[in-house]
Amino acid sequence: MIYLYDGTFEGVLSGIYVMFHQKCPVDAARLMHKDRYQYGIFDEVVLVETQVEEAGKVASSIIETFGQEAFRRIGYAYLSEDEAFGTILFKCLKRAYKLGGMAFENLSDPDILALYKCFNAVARESHRMLGLLRFMELEKGVYYAPFDPTYDLLGLMVPHFTERLNDQVWVIHDIKRRKAAFYNGHEVHFGELDPLDTMSLSAREHDYQKMWQGYFEHIAIDARKNPKLHRQMMPKKYWKYLVEKLH
Amino acid sequence: MDALDKLTILADAAKYDVSCSSSGSDRKAVKGMLGNAAPPGICHSFSEDGRCISLLKILFTNKCIYDCAYCVNRASNGDMPRAEFTPDEVVAITINFYRRNYIEGLFLSSGVVKNPNHTMELLVDVVKKLREVERFNGYIHLKGIPGADQRLIDRAGRYVDRMSINIELPTTQSLRLLAPEKSRSEMIAPMGYIKEQIAEYKALSKRFQNTPSFVPAGQSTQLIVGATQEVDLKIIKISEALYNRMALKRVYYSAYVPVGKTEIATPNQLNLLRREHRIYQADWLLRFYGFKADEILTREEPNLDMEVDPKCQWALRNMHLFPMEINRVPFEALLRIPGIGNITARRIMASRRFGPLNFDSLIKMGVVMKRAKYFITCSGQVFGGIDLEPMKLKQQLIDAPKSQTSQMSMFELYPGQFSGGGASYDLSV
Repeated sequence: MIYLYDGTFEGVLSGIYVMFHQKCPVDAARLMHKDRYQYGIFDEVVLVETQVEEAGKVASSIIETFGQEAFRRIGYAYLSEDEAFGTILFKCLKRAYKLGGMAFENLSDPDILALYKCFNAVARESHRMLGLLRFMELEKGVYYAPFDPTYDLLGLMVPHFTERLNDQVWVIHDIKRRKAAFYNGHEVHFGELDPLDTMSLSAREHDYQKMWQGYFEHIAIDARKNPKLHRQMMPKKYWKYLVEKLH
Repeated sequence: MDALDKLTILADAAKYDVSCSSSGSDRKAVKGMLGNAAPPGICHSFSEDGRCISLLKILFTNKCIYDCAYCVNRASNGDMPRAEFTPDEVVAITINFYRRNYIEGLFLSSGVVKNPNHTMELLVDVVKKLREVERFNGYIHLKGIPGADQRLIDRAGRYVDRMSINIELPTTQSLRLLAPEKSRSEMIAPMGYIKEQIAEYKALSKRFQNTPSFVPAGQSTQLIVGATQEVDLKIIKISEALYNRMALKRVYYSAYVPVGKTEIATPNQLNLLRREHRIYQADWLLRFYGFKADEILTREEPNLDMEVDPKCQWALRNMHLFPMEINRVPFEALLRIPGIGNITARRIMASRRFGPLNFDSLIKMGVVMKRAKYFITCSGQVFGGIDLEPMKLKQQLIDAPKSQTSQMSMFELYPGQFSGGGASYDLSV
């Protein structure tokens, strides 16, 4: 049996609700994003309706049984946009409710581990991106940061920068997913945003970019240059928006 | 000279200082102030030598009245272009880099101009402006200038997150040899003073809510390895003493890089880098794995093995403690098994409660079987057919050279036979 959800977080939790309700056997059911699912000719398909109330019930049950941290892991894992995320979550929860309260610590269990891996990949890129995000100052003093993360990190970037750059007006723009977070010095809102064609930089922006490039070049010790290590620590896929890697 | 020129010269001059960590300070964001500090630290970039760039690491000036033989900025190094920032320039660069998320904060050090007090005053001026005029609330690491007044150390301590005074060389003799103008006591005395102040402010803050912070991320130091003849045991004993008696947060080690013309005999650079790496591993054992310096190395074996890591080296000397049963031994013992790190040990402890683990789940949890397999049993089972005799074992633990590196050395050894590779071996010569 294949259950299809609408791609939202509430949707996937609604799916879990239905599947538990119908006592789906763990190996015979899958929970898939409806836009990414390819119909197989003999598949039996159920379209899950997103029910905020039922999703809420699932969420509170998870938090009550396994704690806040477990729920945070699930949230992060969702952002991995892993094709199998719905099924991974279903199997993980099936197993976890058998194991009880500390279940999410049991990484020797393959179903618990699978979810942990999705979570961990997102958590790692998210931490990495807190450092690698680059703002440029536009005319009128708006700081603009385009990026292109592997996972859907925009929401995870926002709390950090609303604290750190709280006296600054900024925009963080996920180019691939065409959405952005806008901060006006007081509050944040999210919206759709297409890639910008032209930008007018502030008068001093170029100077500071030059200085950062100069600094980057000179801080490396020539006798110890190690391109392989360099790429390993800072993979090429992130270079596109790194001022110091553009020349 | 404009700010860009100064920046490149003074970054060049600062790059041999290895410390770059921005961790350990929990400076909370305040509305209307710029910045905060993230306790685990954040890397913002990686330089082409593979090191994390977290802080803007610069010297205020690379002019220096001292002539320390190991230092690129020594007075007698005549080829060196010299520059000096103004406090406002450092402030502007720091703030503008920070707003663009290039950096986590500032790491400011300096050559000594005129005298230690004058220099220290310039540095204090920079951090004061950052905190009071710009309301900068990000991370600041300031180098203490040996020989500067306690009064200045005191003032600086209230503005910065971390302070460090470099011990530079492991022993008084080597200091006398290579840096005759510096004295050991000028380095140790302020360290002791900062330690006392940190403790005092901490005690005060328990009683009074408004106690200002004093060097909340603690102090660190750096010493140069390989410019003089000390054995590794001596070096990690010094580190152990600094951690225990001076309550230092970090000791950094820097393999000596020959800079300019100097009297110091140049050791083999590749071996020296590996030695630095091994010393860092030993330092980790001191700080996170519950080892004592005297366990890691002994009088009979005073140097770290370049072929296997320090934990393996210790384990091979203590084979009577192995194999350990993964499903039974306490956390402290797990930490001592080669191939098991802190995180993996914690995962094992947590998973173990659900039932005995097998080799398969150990691998998934991150145990490096290549090393661990010789030292563990899993529910009484041994992994594969292995030989536990120490000398043979060591051979098996040593990494086989990768095919690519052996090819490289083949080209280097017989340049005449393999001349197709590049322009360096010209057939016509």
